[in-house]
Amino acid sequence: MGGEEKTYGGCEGPDVMCPKLISFDGQEFTVKRQHALISGTMKAMLSRPGQVAENETNEVHFREILSHVQSKVYFNYKVYYTNSSTKIPNFSIAPEVVLELLMAANFLDLLNKLNYNKTADEIKL
Amino acid sequence: MLSPAPEEPLLLAELKPGRPHQFDWKSSCETWSVAFSPDGSWFAWSQGHCIVKLIPWPLEEQFIPKGFESKSRSSKNDPKGRGSPKEKTLDCGQIVWGLAFSPWPCPPTRKLWARLHPQVPDVSCLILATGLNDGQIKIWEVQTGLLLLNLSGHQDVVRDLSFTPSGSLILVSASRDKTLRIWDLNKHGKQIQVLSGHLQWVYCCSISPDCSMLCSAAGEKSVFLWSMRSYTLIRKLEGHQSSVVSCDFSPDSALLVTASYDTSVIMWDPYTGERLRSLHHTQLDPAMDDSDVHMSSLRSVCFSPEGLYLATVADDRLLRIWALELKAPIAFAPMTNGLCCTFFPHGGVIATGTRDGHVQFWTAPRVLSSLKHLCRKALRSFLTTYQVLALPIPKKMKEFLTYRTF
Repeated sequence: MGGEEKTYGGCEGPDVMCPKLISFDGQEFTVKRQHALISGTMKAMLSRPGQVAENETNEVHFREILSHVQSKVYFNYKVYYTNSSTKIPNFSIAPEVVLELLMAANFLDLLNKLNYNKTADEIKL
Repeated sequence: MLSPAPEEPLLLAELKPGRPHQFDWKSSCETWSVAFSPDGSWFAWSQGHCIVKLIPWPLEEQFIPKGFESKSRSSKNDPKGRGSPKEKTLDCGQIVWGLAFSPWPCPPTRKLWARLHPQVPDVSCLILATGLNDGQIKIWEVQTGLLLLNLSGHQDVVRDLSFTPSGSLILVSASRDKTLRIWDLNKHGKQIQVLSGHLQWVYCCSISPDCSMLCSAAGEKSVFLWSMRSYTLIRKLEGHQSSVVSCDFSPDSALLVTASYDTSVIMWDPYTGERLRSLHHTQLDPAMDDSDVHMSSLRSVCFSPEGLYLATVADDRLLRIWALELKAPIAFAPMTNGLCCTFFPHGGVIATGTRDGHVQFWTAPRVLSSLKHLCRKALRSFLTTYQVLALPIPKKMKEFLTYRTF
């Protein structure tokens, strides 16, 4: 994914409602808090005791974000190649994220089945 | 996972052999084997009368009719026509039963091999192995059509061949002499092992994509799984009621399918030996009595490259496409006297061969795997069933990963 920093719905500057997530390779993503909370892992990390103080930036560093990046890449891959007549290339998945990615995909699959379509759409998977 | 309206396979093209100049009563005209090279650049076809045709892929324009709605107008003449310069005809001198392409070795291996073996024939190119009627195996270089090696050892028809997918140039052959043999093409085709144990003709062999297991199936109804590391028998899979004639591993090595004259295809977990499901080939309109039950003997089964579909060829004149998780086929196509089938390695096309020496190319369902399936395939490419069961994940996830649920 490109390294551009995305702002999401008016979250700029230190904002408790929009935590900044930083992957292990330095990519930064800002997401709405309610979406970040959907992942059990992120929820646990964001609700650590010792809440964010006013002068601290609301950043979470963790490795798992890479799988979220990958799921976004998958979404683009799916949209592009569905009903396309060009040859579908392989979608490669790095071994270190594949299990986490499977959990994420499974969770969103479940959301779709339960008809939480709005939420799934907002996460854009 | 599936597109909402699976399409019937449409016939893309049909190729027929040219009439031989002299009718040779010793040779027959069946197409026993068809194969694509692993990189998808060549198609090989044992077209009967001892000839193997090698055709570059994709096919030239002249073979594909405009629009796929109608069947192709097949030419009665040899499709070679005015001659594609790259097409090759291999005269093997006797009936060809088995065919296998080597995977193209990766460049570093190729250079290393050439440096270490300056005097011997260069097998670090794309090669085709052909299994012949009297037990010989001929090794050909695809680019030039030249004969490189002749492997002797088998005492009877070499029915099937399989190269290790890793590119190590180890070849496995399966024969009516009830043995399988392992050949090392890096050492002039030296026979390095004989695998005995089968009681009847061995019909087929297949090596798992992770190169750990070899499957062989024979007339005595059981399927053997061998270790490709120690060349010893791991287990026997019992369940079929008649000769087992075709076998294939899924692309992630997690599943094995076998097809038998008993009208069924069985899907197994090769690590545990469990039967996961049976696919029955019944007629579309079941007869009132059982007299026609043998019409649906299976001839061939193969996995699609993304691991979500199977294609089967049966004696009831149907090519069937199955989705792994469903009990009934999702599509049918009429084909008479079918003997063999294989998927194009990049998906989208199925090739079939028939008793009269023809090959057909059919459209195959093009599917975009779900993210869950892509993850499963990635994981299972290096995890055995037991390793999956040991992971700290929910039970439902284990069932999904071990293909107990879909």
